[in-house]
Amino acid sequence: MKSVTGNDLVVIGGGPAGIAAAATASSFGLRVALIDERVTLGGQIFKRVGPGFDLRERKSLGKDYARGSDLIDEIDRPNVTLLTSTTVLTIEDGKVITSHPEEGIRALDYRFLIIAPGAYDRPVAFPGWTLPGVMTAGAVQTMVKTQRISPGKRVFFAGSGPLALAFSAQLIGLGAPVFKVIESAPFPSPINALRLLSRIGGNLDLIRDAAKYRSVLFKARVPFKYGRIIVKAEGKGRLEYVTHAKADREWNPIPGTEVREACDALCVGYGFFPSHELFRLVDCAFEYDENRGGFSVLRDEWGATSVDSVFAVGDGTGVTGSYSAVAQGRLAGLQIASRLKKITEEERDSAAKPYARELRARNRFQSALNKMFDVGAGIYRLADKKTVICRCESVTRGAIDPIIDSTDDVSVVKGISRAGMGLCQGRNCQRHIAAMIADRHQKPISSVSFQTPRFPVKPVEIGAIADDSVREEKYFIT
Amino acid sequence: MSEFLVGYLSNQSNHEDPPRECDVLIIGGGLLGTSLAYYLAKEGTDVTLIEREEINREASGTNAGSFHFQIALHQLTPNMTDSEKDRLASEVRLQVDAAKLWDNLEQELDADLGVHFDGGIMVAETEEEMRVLRDKDEIEKSAGLESHILTGDEMRAFAPYLAPDLAGISFCPREGHANPLLVGPTYAYRAAERGVRFRTDCGAESIEVLTGEKHRFKVTTNKGVIKANRVVNAAGAWTAELAAQLGLKLPMGLSGLHVNVTEPREYFLKSMVQHIGRRLTLKQTHNNTFIIGGGWPSRPEPYPKRFSNIWNSASGNLAVALRVLPMLKDVKLIRTWSGVWAYTLDFKPILGESERIPGYHVAMVPTGFTLGPMVAQMLSEYMTAPKGSIKLPEEFRVDREVA
Repeated sequence: MKSVTGNDLVVIGGGPAGIAAAATASSFGLRVALIDERVTLGGQIFKRVGPGFDLRERKSLGKDYARGSDLIDEIDRPNVTLLTSTTVLTIEDGKVITSHPEEGIRALDYRFLIIAPGAYDRPVAFPGWTLPGVMTAGAVQTMVKTQRISPGKRVFFAGSGPLALAFSAQLIGLGAPVFKVIESAPFPSPINALRLLSRIGGNLDLIRDAAKYRSVLFKARVPFKYGRIIVKAEGKGRLEYVTHAKADREWNPIPGTEVREACDALCVGYGFFPSHELFRLVDCAFEYDENRGGFSVLRDEWGATSVDSVFAVGDGTGVTGSYSAVAQGRLAGLQIASRLKKITEEERDSAAKPYARELRARNRFQSALNKMFDVGAGIYRLADKKTVICRCESVTRGAIDPIIDSTDDVSVVKGISRAGMGLCQGRNCQRHIAAMIADRHQKPISSVSFQTPRFPVKPVEIGAIADDSVREEKYFIT
Repeated sequence: MSEFLVGYLSNQSNHEDPPRECDVLIIGGGLLGTSLAYYLAKEGTDVTLIEREEINREASGTNAGSFHFQIALHQLTPNMTDSEKDRLASEVRLQVDAAKLWDNLEQELDADLGVHFDGGIMVAETEEEMRVLRDKDEIEKSAGLESHILTGDEMRAFAPYLAPDLAGISFCPREGHANPLLVGPTYAYRAAERGVRFRTDCGAESIEVLTGEKHRFKVTTNKGVIKANRVVNAAGAWTAELAAQLGLKLPMGLSGLHVNVTEPREYFLKSMVQHIGRRLTLKQTHNNTFIIGGGWPSRPEPYPKRFSNIWNSASGNLAVALRVLPMLKDVKLIRTWSGVWAYTLDFKPILGESERIPGYHVAMVPTGFTLGPMVAQMLSEYMTAPKGSIKLPEEFRVDREVA
């Protein structure tokens, strides 16, 4: 194992929040190491085009691409070390242990650590969700952004929240033939619309974006239907038909309102879950908010967690979007620079003002948006007996239901059914099973606890981590 | 496969308040506690079992389910005296008896417990290790455990997946495994059918010896007081802690064990593989994943937090695994976990009734999965026979002192 020492700050995650944190901290002379598991920086929102692509018209890729480029330019400093293609496996005894295909295992020490892991698509298990042709919004976005590949010839988009609109408009803009978009939430009520309007300060850009997205759909004559939810996907060997239905207030499909349509790609975007594996490994305290993706790490106004020297920023702390993420990253960078005496508290506070103001405005708007697109419990009830819940181990709802009848413990369900033991390490099924338990035992989902966090955070080849220089205590041979 | 577990788990009475009195009160719902409950109930004994969490949750359900009938390598030394060899031979005989119990257990409990006897391989890397392997083989044969030594081309033909340059291997056809998630709960289910009252989420907070009353013990739990004639401490890793409440000092230690689990690969490894000189147990499960452990440490954490894993244990353990099975190089590690291993300082079970506190029993065994059901059966025979008619082995004494 190699050591990378002398880092004032290690930032895990090269998306908007992580880059902003690295940019601000490094501007005050801190030695910063920025880690990302992808080949290029940017995360999901500021994702770069894939290696080998020649970018001629940067403008054509839209505003977020330009925002990303500006931010990435900011960290082009000698005191910033970039570690791309580098996966964090664990954090132990003040060291971040990473793996890289050529460099192997490297351990980075730090005085401060910022964890900015981002979020992943909320998995939704409905009959047919594992058919080829059914994809999450994030996966489709990655295909289109980095490889310029359309997911199909006739794309149906089912989802909820502001990103359902943004994603589908972006897909259309990039040439993906989306033919219909359904949104589970009802058409905004006057109260919700007023609440949103009252918090518009500092968010005009988002409203403008939304209007633009809406007009993209309108121009392309793509219908956008409120109050409908995906019910099932069907096809022989791959997706051929989707069925959707009217949803009640809790997002339960209303029988008799089903519509079946032919398509070859279904893009599913019902929001996101924060990636909190690393926060759990270092034992951070959590709170619960379903609209921000469930369990969210507790943090102060600078992003400090309950664990000394560990900060949390971006969508991995609860999904609030890229503008908030950048502001959170800046604030954490300022606080760490001040803790390391590179700036005074007065300098910190005056530099922090615009970011804190932005964050307040964004958060107010976001919580109003969240109310509008409140996630309904029906999202967890779409699976039937034969629907696979754990796709790594092929465990169906029918196999899990009887176990849940008699236990409210996720670990017991895992032990008996093997749900959550596969390659995705439970990311796809664990919250779903928690929701099934909450539903069955009439308790809040927030009371269903996590599985015990264990490394590696991502699967890694044995050959990469095996180290012959580590010797055990011998039993008998000297 | 899971019908018994579900059956056990749906037993809602597990969550009711415990009875106010009973004959035998077992503290601890691991494999020892549940199997003892079963054997006692079979003889008509009135038994209540309390467990502070869920049945089978700690070491009984988190071990790898292997039968260790070969002599454990921590018991071996390069130059063993005859008396040491005799002592080890007597332990192997115990192991052989345990193997016979496992032979019949699925029939006894009328359930699929995933019992398989696919044999166990122990590898030696050096000539010095090879000498120890031959000594071990001799002791095992003398105690009636079948074992074979293979080297060179014979070894490579028998186990072509092993590194070809190993000094040699021993093969014990009797070794095998069962599903640790099924055995304890199935014992519990069958015991409940015979009238044992199980109470989960019910922990023993304190225990008092009564004098001049109908019952000898008063156990206070989070769900009320239970009076019992006899108490069995089967608290696994927490046995010594519980016994200390009554001033008993048990010769026990605790350590956390690191375990690695990989992604599945095409099934090829029928037998468990161990190393005689280094810490390694390696096997392929019926889900085709590999489970790799063997005694690398994990970090103790205060209850109820689970012991945490140590990076160096993974990297060191996996290096030993690759030395023995190089073809696993590109197999992905998916998870690690940590089990708690309770051991006795002389590696012998603590089993029987305390002489200092009559009526207080202890059931604790270091290789708990392999030997647990058998020692539970021994203790049950002792507890149900007329007083003094059955003696448990002297070296298992509860009140012994170990230097």
